[in-house]
Amino acid sequence: MIRRILTRLSTSILVLWGAVTVSFTALHLTPGNVVDVLIGSNIVTPEVRAQIIADYGLDEPLFVQYATYLGRVLRGDLGRSYQLHEPVASAIGAQLGPSLQLAGASLLVAIVVSTTLAILTARRRPWIRGLSSGLELIGVSIPTFWTAILLLTIFSFQLGWFPAVGADGFAALVLPVIAVALPITTMLTQMMREGLELTLEQPFVLTARTRGMSDLGVRLRHALRHVLVPTVTLIGWLVGLTVGAMVAVEQIFSRQGIGQLTLTAVGGKDLPVVMGVVLLTAVLYVVVNIVIDLLYLLIDPRLRGAT
Amino acid sequence: MISVRRFRAPLAALLLLPLLAACGGTSAPQEEPAGSPAKGGSLVFGVNTEPLNLDPHASPQDVTGLFTRPVLDSLVALDDKGDIHPWLASSWEISDDGLTYTFKLRTGVKFSDGTPFDAAAVKTNLDHIVDPATKSQLAAAAFGPYEKSTVVDPQTIEVKFKEAYSPFLAALATAYFGIQSPKQLALGPEALAKKVVGTGPFVIDAFVPHQGITYHRNPDYDWAPAIAKHTGPAYLERLEFKVIVEDAVRLGALTSGQIDAIAGVPPVNVKQVEANPKLTIIRKQAPGGNYNYYPNNEKGVFTDQKVRQAFRDGIDFATVVDKLYFGAFDPAFSAISPATAGYDKATETQWKYDPEGAARLLDEADWSAKDAEGYRTKDGQRLTVRWPFLKALAREQRGTLAEQVQAEAKKAGFDIQFVDVTPNDFTPKALAGDYDLIDFSWQRADGDALRNLFAISNIPNPNFFGQNLARWNDPEVDGWLTDALRTTDLAERAALYAKVQQKANADASIVPVYVFTYLLGASKNVQDITFEPQAFPTFYDAWVSKA
Repeated sequence: MIRRILTRLSTSILVLWGAVTVSFTALHLTPGNVVDVLIGSNIVTPEVRAQIIADYGLDEPLFVQYATYLGRVLRGDLGRSYQLHEPVASAIGAQLGPSLQLAGASLLVAIVVSTTLAILTARRRPWIRGLSSGLELIGVSIPTFWTAILLLTIFSFQLGWFPAVGADGFAALVLPVIAVALPITTMLTQMMREGLELTLEQPFVLTARTRGMSDLGVRLRHALRHVLVPTVTLIGWLVGLTVGAMVAVEQIFSRQGIGQLTLTAVGGKDLPVVMGVVLLTAVLYVVVNIVIDLLYLLIDPRLRGAT
Repeated sequence: MISVRRFRAPLAALLLLPLLAACGGTSAPQEEPAGSPAKGGSLVFGVNTEPLNLDPHASPQDVTGLFTRPVLDSLVALDDKGDIHPWLASSWEISDDGLTYTFKLRTGVKFSDGTPFDAAAVKTNLDHIVDPATKSQLAAAAFGPYEKSTVVDPQTIEVKFKEAYSPFLAALATAYFGIQSPKQLALGPEALAKKVVGTGPFVIDAFVPHQGITYHRNPDYDWAPAIAKHTGPAYLERLEFKVIVEDAVRLGALTSGQIDAIAGVPPVNVKQVEANPKLTIIRKQAPGGNYNYYPNNEKGVFTDQKVRQAFRDGIDFATVVDKLYFGAFDPAFSAISPATAGYDKATETQWKYDPEGAARLLDEADWSAKDAEGYRTKDGQRLTVRWPFLKALAREQRGTLAEQVQAEAKKAGFDIQFVDVTPNDFTPKALAGDYDLIDFSWQRADGDALRNLFAISNIPNPNFFGQNLARWNDPEVDGWLTDALRTTDLAERAALYAKVQQKANADASIVPVYVFTYLLGASKNVQDITFEPQAFPTFYDAWVSKA
């Protein structure tokens, strides 16, 4: 067990190191001079230019810039943003809260709604299943951008139930959460229902029924647990989808967040922030994968013995 | 099925939204709010972009000016005609050689953090702009050949230049030269990037990136410029700018009454907003360089004046612009916009769409043969125009405009080839002159914008990013531009700038396309939003009628 955790940790560190290195290399291989991007299309005196180069260490050889960066990351210092005039860590820190709030709420909504839907619709009459999977197909295929605009137009501009922009309180969170949760919910529902339907045909379900268990009881106590392993795997995958959806949603609803930060940083070639976000994403994946592994053990007792 | 039907109704409404708004006139037209301004209340303004850095001394973004103007006063104020008026400076004198400006400062002015406003504070500000540590990307450049400033006495400051520099006062009037509290300046660039403190009619509460900025009224404010509509504190109790990047969302927030005004109404929606009895559009033409196409005068097909002129005259720019922007933007005829001090109205009749003339010019320039596709050729070479177009950063449907121009150019025999570029590889191409045509606009509230666009010293090279992307190297024009720096007489400067504009057209060294116009959508309850000379809205005089 301990060996397993150690292996996991060391591969995680390798993944993180790789992420930093690849992003650093890629960004420096793109054509264009960092100083020019900083200056933009303006006239500056040569002194100002020299000052920027000196301040940002842009005259150092590439590998020195890289080594310095790695060393700083190890000390927990993600460097300074050229454009935001603040340390990368604090820039990310300031945006992390709203993003986590949105992502957490969306995942929670998605899990609750899809579990409920899957339990209610698995092995039901064809028209119920048909309706549900039809709606799911629509949910998966509508781009988040469009969902967000549609939600806004109906529930904010026309009906006036929710504010269009901002992050003031619960009301402002409703529409963004729906927009982010929609594609996740539909994917999860489809997968869980299929899993449930397969499970419900297993002999042990018949056994349970013969013991006099109610239909709902069978679904909740026996069938659901079998579906949870693939579901957790899928949720791990969907974390990536959530991050993607959040970039569009944060933009449309004018919310603070990592998505907005990343968009601005990539557009402005703000290297330290871009690399900070890449690192953060890598950490997120590593953490999610560890959590998923632990969840497997929790869900399926058979895995606990196998090391 | 009921739920489905209920869903469908708003969906249909969404698709018909422009129509619905246009039909909204059935409700009783709202009374024009009468006469005297109401005090108090708040105004929420939806903006389409935001500053990365709030310090206008450092930042080059025009939106920084918008965000800081409520907080910062300048020494002088500039009106629409280019005249300068007292503001924090009550009077000034310019030495005969044009090298020394002596300002007498207004007394009794205080920064909102309690620091008194005096000559030492002004000196700290001017020195902060030119300090390399500020990394000024605009203000320092607009400061020209600044040498130093000297505190004569607490109410008098002397500003010295190495050479005569007539655009100084107009530059000084911008928010980029807004006077900040020395106490705040001392906190350094990080603090300034998030908060600026000035003597202005409003005080910043909080600036939250990606969301916006909130201000409250400065109750002690009593030093408005002479060109403002009133004196004393601002009418509004609270002012808020909300960042709403998506056009559809910004417009929806306005039409549904969630906010009071928005920046950047998309031209296609202008009629829709105007048809809404509760809303109105406020227009303001931006000064400085129009949105122009800049042919490379230095190398390639456009070194020949006749080819440049054939390109300009052979394409019906006015009609393309009018159709695409639904009349919201005027076609341009000069390098600079009609809102710029020194604009020459005579340029409007100097040239026009003339396809026959253009064809003749191409014949004369030996591009007389045509290939199978109808493009002009010379020695078997097609008349090709390479145009690095930055799709990623194009505003105002400039990409669509460029495609329509491409189609029109084909009729005139030009083969426009777009070079797909990213912001990263655009810069080296632009600096090295690796293009036949390039496009940009250049806002600046002074005829000196012509010097940005045409001075020989502003031709970019790999070590220097200047704005003379036409690479127009004309010593006579350069002479006029330098002469204009030496006189502060507006009429004299205008005469020199007129010569430059006329020659630019005669030489077809550039192709004027359209005049950018600020399209502000506002509720009719909002009154007296005024504009800075740089064409961004100001809110000192603004008030909201209690409807």
